[in-house]
Amino acid sequence: MSASRIRTEYTGRKWRLFLLTLKTSLLTLLTLGFYRFWMKTRLRRWFWSAIRPGGQPLEYTGNPIEKLLGFLMAVVVLAFYIGIVNLVLVFLSFTLLNDNLAAYVVSFVGVIPILFFARYRARRYILARTRWRGIRFGMEPAAWAYSLRALGQWLLTILTLGWLYPRQVFNLEKFRTDRTFYGSARLHQGGDWTMLRGPAFYNMYAAAMLSIGIVALVQFGFLSEKKLLWLVLTGPWFLIAFLWFRVHAFRTMANHKSADGISLIAEPRLPRVLGIYLLGYTLAYLILLLFIAAFVFIALFAAQWLFGVNPVVIVTWQERVPTWVQMSAYIFLYFSIFILWGVLHQVFVALPLHRHYAQTLTITNPPALARIRQRDRDHATEAGGFAEALDLGAAI
Amino acid sequence: MTLAQDQRKAAPCGQTGLDVFADFLDGKTARVKRVHVVLNDDGRSASHRTLEITDAEGNRALWPVATLRALPDQAGHSGIILRRADSSEERLIIDDPSTAARLRAICPYLHKRPPVTGKGRLFGWGLGAIGSVFLIVMVLIPLLANQLAELLPPAAEKALGDATLDQIREGLDRTGANPIRICEREKGLAAVKIMQARLTKEMDLPYPVEVHVLDHPMVNAFALPGGHVVFFRGLIDEAETPEEVAAVFAHELGHVAHRDPARITLRTAGSVGVLGLLFGDFAGGTVVLFLTERLVQASYTREAEALADDFAHETLKKAGISPAALASMFERLRARYGDEEGIVAHFASHPAMIERIEKARQAAKNLSLETEPLLDSDQWADLKAICGVRFNPLDYIRKMRPQMPPKAE
Repeated sequence: MSASRIRTEYTGRKWRLFLLTLKTSLLTLLTLGFYRFWMKTRLRRWFWSAIRPGGQPLEYTGNPIEKLLGFLMAVVVLAFYIGIVNLVLVFLSFTLLNDNLAAYVVSFVGVIPILFFARYRARRYILARTRWRGIRFGMEPAAWAYSLRALGQWLLTILTLGWLYPRQVFNLEKFRTDRTFYGSARLHQGGDWTMLRGPAFYNMYAAAMLSIGIVALVQFGFLSEKKLLWLVLTGPWFLIAFLWFRVHAFRTMANHKSADGISLIAEPRLPRVLGIYLLGYTLAYLILLLFIAAFVFIALFAAQWLFGVNPVVIVTWQERVPTWVQMSAYIFLYFSIFILWGVLHQVFVALPLHRHYAQTLTITNPPALARIRQRDRDHATEAGGFAEALDLGAAI
Repeated sequence: MTLAQDQRKAAPCGQTGLDVFADFLDGKTARVKRVHVVLNDDGRSASHRTLEITDAEGNRALWPVATLRALPDQAGHSGIILRRADSSEERLIIDDPSTAARLRAICPYLHKRPPVTGKGRLFGWGLGAIGSVFLIVMVLIPLLANQLAELLPPAAEKALGDATLDQIREGLDRTGANPIRICEREKGLAAVKIMQARLTKEMDLPYPVEVHVLDHPMVNAFALPGGHVVFFRGLIDEAETPEEVAAVFAHELGHVAHRDPARITLRTAGSVGVLGLLFGDFAGGTVVLFLTERLVQASYTREAEALADDFAHETLKKAGISPAALASMFERLRARYGDEEGIVAHFASHPAMIERIEKARQAAKNLSLETEPLLDSDQWADLKAICGVRFNPLDYIRKMRPQMPPKAE
């Protein structure tokens, strides 16, 4: 067993992640967002190092300064686009159509090619900064080609009312995988897109079509508005089927990836992933509610003790507590909720998901690893800056 | 392996006694080598110590302790991963917690950060980014906005104003879920109409003026593109005569006539995105919210304010109202907010209040107006009650404490 396959261990602990996320989010807030490049780097280092295929941790070697630099580069380009182009679009849209919807649509459509471009570049940057057993991953530069390909695939999906969505998912993943390297070994995405069709996709498709159909029929007056209640059923159905499709697609495509005789076996399970989301968000909400309750409780007693406010009569609150104290309390509450939510999401959703996907991943034929050589360092100068500026890299 | 084991037996443990097996990555192949690690302590100072790393084939490497760096932010809780400051490729992975602790005690620069490379480049791009954002937000967008505001057809300007009014109402509401109520009591609106008719009698505006009163305690009023003039209830509460409300009305009409709101709105449309780009999403929608606030408190230039004042003086005179009403309204605001700039309300941020009060007084001098009252006492009461009569404890408390500015919620 051990000679022909290696399993993946996961060593991340929630408490450690909690502390790291809390500390870095506070710093980000205190520096008006400037620390976010450091935060992202540190979190990635942590998440990467928790994943240990065959007992050897992944290493993230990206650094914050290069991210900052890449971001600055993106700002120079995008500030012009977002400022001037949007202003002109808003003007034209109001002048010609008396509405700003057109401006938003055109502005968004104009950004789409950059979005795909940024996504590919960000992935290339992340791979170039990821190592396992001391060997770098890497990706060939092909961001514009990818952007073009993605546009074409999306167009096809839209024209076929979503029927070719699995084809799009597969082809784009193949485009990226076939350009990915682990050291000297090029990855290969085998199989074909029809693997992704199946009950998961059909369910997702049916739920989506039903939901859109109901909304459209109600919109055009063919159905009474009460029928919108059906969305209570079709909505969750769609979400679950979508998740099912995602898990299935990840699993199927991973199982058809190979590099120099090495291949992967991925076995993530839908019930587990679903359970992680449900449990994770429930816990996060509960803790947040507890926090707010504790805050209100403490605030009421502090007000009584410091300013002699009677906690039962709210009017005296406004009267006796100085405005700046009230404002500070509101601001404190707002930012703590904002930060706490992010932290809880990392701890109760992101970490368990990582753990599940890691622990169900097996690598076959490890002796072939001995043949793999190092690849040159990819400078990837822009370091995901466009993705950062366009807020694509929000997820780790 | 046997060689290493032999060595282990032979190696003197020394005072510091570090002697373990570890994984070694050479950064050239994907092979993981099992190595034997010993701390060489030849009695010299701590910074001269070295780690001696020997693999199964007997290849030996010496890593000076002073060059050792630990990888930061690792999730593996028990061990330590070492690299050399002078090479980015090789890694020594030690999983044993007690050895990791020993190394932390021995190695002096374990957590020293690598030097920042390419400072010049970073500085250059930083300047470039700040420069381009500054250029775009402070120069290009205002320039373009001023030009485009002139070109904007009246219908488009009206649509722009409608959209902005909705945004402001949502922005002012703290939860963003239910926009602030517009006060629409018929009698009050009728009083507004009378006032409006008298002021706009001889005015030639490309679109009809639309007045809204928002149910909000802020003492403020502003104009939006397309002839929207918006009063906050707080301003009507604060005014002591209908003429004072009319004076503020006339001032806002000045902004409308000069198309100042269209300029500001177009400028904001361009700037919000750029600033959002710079700050990212570090605190949710706070930045966007903040900018919405700024829009309400839109500070026009001094010239624009002076022109709007002049316009108000003329309009009031034509309508047979003394411009002194503007002066008394300004004085009321000054008494309440002081001469400070930009804290609470739109008017408080207007520059040189005293100067403006003086100008309004000058305009009112040597004037003989047929003093037909603007509103009779019933109409004035209707206007005061445009949002409905009710007891609001907050207003009551604020009246009791005139030194405290109202919260801009």
